[in-house]
Formats: sequence, structure tokens, C-alpha cells
Amino acid sequence: MENILEVKDLCKKYKEFELKNVNITLPKGMIMGFIGENGAGKTTTIKAILGITGDYTGEIKLFGLDNRKDDRKIKENVGAVLDDMFFPEILTPNDINTIMKDIYKNWDSKLYFKYLSDFALPRNKAIKTLSKGMRKKLEIATAISHHPKLLILDEPTAGLDPVARNEVIDIFQSFIQNEECSIFLSSHITTDLEHIADYITFINNGNIILSKTREELLEDYGIVKCSKEEFEKIDKNDFIQYKKSKYEYKVLIENRKTFSKKYKINTIDKITLEELMVLMIKGEK
Amino acid sequence: MLGFIKKDLLMIKSNIKIFAILLLIYVVMAFQGQMDLSFLLPFMSVMIMMSTFSYDSYNKWDAYTISLPDGRKNSVKAKYLATLILIIATTIIITTLSFTISYAKTKTIDFVNITAAIFGSLFATILLQSFIYPAMYKFGPEKARIGLMTIIFCVAVIGGFIVQYVDFSTIINVLNYIQEYWIIVFLITMILMLYISYKISERIYIKKEM
Repeated sequence: MENILEVKDLCKKYKEFELKNVNITLPKGMIMGFIGENGAGKTTTIKAILGITGDYTGEIKLFGLDNRKDDRKIKENVGAVLDDMFFPEILTPNDINTIMKDIYKNWDSKLYFKYLSDFALPRNKAIKTLSKGMRKKLEIATAISHHPKLLILDEPTAGLDPVARNEVIDIFQSFIQNEECSIFLSSHITTDLEHIADYITFINNGNIILSKTREELLEDYGIVKCSKEEFEKIDKNDFIQYKKSKYEYKVLIENRKTFSKKYKINTIDKITLEELMVLMIKGEK
Repeated sequence: MLGFIKKDLLMIKSNIKIFAILLLIYVVMAFQGQMDLSFLLPFMSVMIMMSTFSYDSYNKWDAYTISLPDGRKNSVKAKYLATLILIIATTIIITTLSFTISYAKTKTIDFVNITAAIFGSLFATILLQSFIYPAMYKFGPEKARIGLMTIIFCVAVIGGFIVQYVDFSTIINVLNYIQEYWIIVFLITMILMLYISYKISERIYIKKEM
């Protein structure tokens, strides 16, 4: 399968934070959810992929091209929605069209205005007068109106109400209908990713600690909820992390079937991404 | 590149009402002989462009622009070209208004004095912008604005000192020598200042951590 995005051994050092050998591979036609807590390195990784952060080591390839050497070719095929970064707010959606048609070779004004009308966005109102949900939809419409092959989205559903979030997810799903297109998407709202992502990559403290298909995670991984006595019988090599609460132990395991056979436990819950995040970050080994 | 220039011009257009009202007030004052209209040229050009820097910074446009094709390469160039377009437009407007006011008040047009005043203002405008833009890119509009005030204060203090204590005969001799070519000398100097300023800003921008 052809890869649309390849990040190899990406390292970036700040005074109090460091990205350490980040490796990401996104095949064509897939959606990758990029999760992690605040300050884990999601935005820094995205900025490096887009060339916003330049001073890093490692290799980043988009469409097989080096992002340091083939900037123009790459950017013509990428649409980005970045957290809190956009056009100056005194401009209007109409102004964005006037500007973008001279920036992108493939800018499609008809498609852009179709999105504006589908999302019920005004054409002549300044961006600053739009609600957060409308603004986010405008950012997405702007990012996809030049027929990009890859969407890179940093927290695109943050701060949106459930209805707006649903609409935004529908946009992504229709975007991915074309099998040539892919999405790399960071989000705190893990339930959204459970619905749309094909791959989940988890970053913690600048390290990629997990990267798997959604099926592997949601079908194979599990949580065993047990008493202290039951927990003490489990071999350390058979679980990933555990968390002790007032009444029970929550134990994160990698394969429900194997675990069930070995320990004769039938009730192993499937895991949600939120539980996975909490156990991976807050759990102990 | 054109898209990036358009973005700055559209931002200026969005605020045009405020600047039109300011211009109207100054035109009335100029009619009453309370001020020289040429003074408006540096004041308005710098104010208008500084407002675009402030909006860019507030909405993190500089980071967003890098996600666009040739964004890093064209963003600074476009800002300088938009500035040039603005300076040319304001120079034409202010020159026309100055001639009109001169004619309305005296039934003659004082070409020599008005042109000299406009050229002086144009030089001051480009000098100011050549200093401010690299500071804007390096420190952001808030800190650069404080820097601008500091520069104006220092220039005023140093200027006052020079006027009092320096022998101007050499400078006057040089000015007499270039008198015939002063327009060319001024133009070349202005273009050079802007070009050097652009190169410094570009270098700052390329190395800047967004």
C-alpha cells in the first residue's frame, strides 16, 4: 500500500520539551487519529510535518516527496486546519476566495461557495462575527476547496457542540470517499476518532507509545476489572498498565482472547480510546 | 504571490472607513491652515500597515501562511509590495489634495514647495518603514510599536542636539552638489533602504520559530 505520509525519527528539542524519534506512517485512503494529552507533542509534530517548525532532525515525506525540498508541490496537495491559526479576522469568506484563487493552482471557487452554502456560512460577514462552530466550518471549507489529497487537522472539533461536531465529521467522511485522499487528525475528542479513524497513533511526552489500526485497538485490547486478589494472580507480562481505584483494579491488556483463555475470565470489557489514554498515561506497570 | 498581496490590500480596504474619516478631518485642518497635509503621508502609511501586522499576529497568520504553497517565500515579499502600493496610492491622494487646497486658497498651485514637502514625507515614510518592518518580524507588533516610539524620541533628541552643535556647511555643500539630481538620489536611497530592510525581514522570517 502506498504511503501518503511518512515521518521517520523526527526529533525536535525545546527548552522544556522534546519530540523523540517520532515515527508515523499513513497509507493512502486512510484516516489516522493522533491522540495524546495537552503538551504531549501533537501540535509540534503537525507543525513539523507542515514545515512551520523548521529546526528539527529526521525525515518527513508527503506523497513520497521531502517536505524540505518540495515544499510547493506538497502544499498544493495538502489542506490544513490548525488550532487558532487562520486568516485575519477582519476578512470575510468572500475575501478568502479572492485570496486563495491566487495562491492555489487548483482552487475551486464553485466548490468553496458550495461548501459555504451547505454550511450556511455568510459570504460577506467578517470572520470575527462568526461563532466558533461557523469559523471552524469556514476553516475546513478553506482547507478542502483546492482538492487536496491530504488533510492535516489539528483539533478540528475542539470547542464545537455535538451537532456541529457531527456535521464536521460528515465532511471528513465525504472527503475520504475518494480513495486517493487521506486525513491526519489530532483530537482530544476520542469518541469522534472511534467512529472515523482507521489508525490510531498515541503520543505521550514527545514519544509515540502506540500506533495500531482501530480494529486492533478496539477489538483486541481490553480492560479487566478485578479485585486486588485477582490482580495479584496476573503475570506482569500479560498486561500493559493497571490503575487502582477505590473498589477495583482496572487492568489494560493487549489481547482479550489470549488473556481470557489463560486466566479463564469471561468478562473482559472492550476498551474505549478515552480509557486507553487514561490507563496509558496515568496507569502503572 | 498575488494572493498574499491581495490579503494585505483587502485588510486595508476593511479599515478604509476609519482612515477616510481621519483624512477628512486633516483636510479640513489643512484648509484652515492648521497643518501641512504632507505630514499625513508617513503617519497614515505607517498606521495602516501596522494595523495589518497586528491582525496578522493576533490570528497567527504567519504560522498559517507557511501551510500554504510558497507561503514562507512570498509572505514577506508581499507585505513589502503591498506597502509600496499603499505608499504610491497615499502619495497620489495627498499630492492631489495638497494641490487642490493650494489652488482653492490662493488660486495658484505652489508646485515646488508642495513637491518638496511630499518628497520629504515620502523619504520619512520609507525610512520609518524600513526600520519598523524587521522589528515587527523579529519582536512582533506590540514590542515593535514601543521600539518605534523609542526611535522617534531618540531621533528627536539627537536631531535637537545636531541642530544646536553641528556645523552644517559640509552637509549644505553636499546638498547643493546633488541639487540638480535630488529626485534621483532620493529615489535610489529609498529603494535601497526598502530593499535592505526587505532582505533583513526575509532572513528573520525564514529563521523564525512560529
